[in-house]
Amino acid sequence: MAEMEVKSGHKKGPGVKKSKKQSTRVDLTPMVDLGFLLITFFIFSTTMSQPTALNLNMPKDTQNKEEETKVKESGSLTLMLGKGNVIYYYFGMDPASMQTTTYKQVRDIILNKKRTTSAEDLFIIIKPDKDATYKNAVDILDEMNINDIQKYAMVDPSPQEYDMIQQTERAAGM
Amino acid sequence: MARGKIKKGSTFVDMTAMCDVAFLLLTFFILATQFKPSEAVNVTPPSSVSTKHAPQKDYFNVTISKDNEVFIDMDEGMRVEVLENVAKQRNLSFSPEDMELFKRSNYVGVPLNQLKQYIRLNPEEAGNVKMQGIPTDSTNNELLTWVTAAVNVSQGKIVNFLIKGDNSSMYTTFSNVIEAFKKNDVYKYNLVTNAADIPQGSELWKKNMAGLMGKEVE
Repeated sequence: MAEMEVKSGHKKGPGVKKSKKQSTRVDLTPMVDLGFLLITFFIFSTTMSQPTALNLNMPKDTQNKEEETKVKESGSLTLMLGKGNVIYYYFGMDPASMQTTTYKQVRDIILNKKRTTSAEDLFIIIKPDKDATYKNAVDILDEMNINDIQKYAMVDPSPQEYDMIQQTERAAGM
Repeated sequence: MARGKIKKGSTFVDMTAMCDVAFLLLTFFILATQFKPSEAVNVTPPSSVSTKHAPQKDYFNVTISKDNEVFIDMDEGMRVEVLENVAKQRNLSFSPEDMELFKRSNYVGVPLNQLKQYIRLNPEEAGNVKMQGIPTDSTNNELLTWVTAAVNVSQGKIVNFLIKGDNSSMYTTFSNVIEAFKKNDVYKYNLVTNAADIPQGSELWKKNMAGLMGKEVE
């Protein structure tokens, strides 16, 4: 401790004045104050979690029909991202069989499809429409990573599909 | 039994221990700290399970704010060259002083016709200006000009194209940004996200666990 006891060796006589014992104790309160002030500053100015990066590779746009990626009807699952965090999905090539789901439940649908289709045939088509947010798109790309889907593509919905989404949304009162 | 004298209690608390703790924490925070880079707008990126860290060098970053405004910033080393290239494409001229000012400004968030006025502002004044973002519409696609300049300048070098979007920005803006990149034959992007945990039991989780097991066996 920051204190030392000074012991006098001899007995003082009655006339000898007692010298005041000097304390060596230092008041550390201001130093602690300063320390915590600096801690507060560093806590507020720090970024603990570094941002991560999700890789996205887009294919080259092509006008040539021959170069387009062919998708097997039996292996395709189309996810259309609509307004209000809703996903519309259908299997194969028939948009009329469209069903509705949410971001929480879409994993089961993807996994079911993955289980029932061979790995080479499985292809997921992501179609974010005009009302989808950026978060929706990243979430669904993330879902592809989580479920270890090898082949997926991001394209715009066809006008016909867009109309269907609009109709469904209107029917749901959105 | 003689009772001892009651000692006068001192109100002096020993601060040494507290001081020790305070400075220990202080040391930790000084060492662990990484200052937040200045941002034009406050953007909350979505989260993803990706574990790759966003590149901090040789980057060209496109930020999308929650109001769908587009801002760009890039590595300090390429700023002057990129601005020269933009000026050449658009038949504009910037004085050496403007170049120097541009090198020091962090973000570009104004259309090209306002760029000169913007970079001449003091940092305090610049902070108060509401930036309207870089136009991305098809009639005056200035983002395309910037990206073309960055691609031209970086011949032979690797540039990390980052896209940092806010959670509530619209997909269409993101799609416009991608379009500007695609027109310059850039197909690889890094989407800046916050780290999130991989859900337990998911396919990726199983794959990672299998990888870990494999390593242990080796």
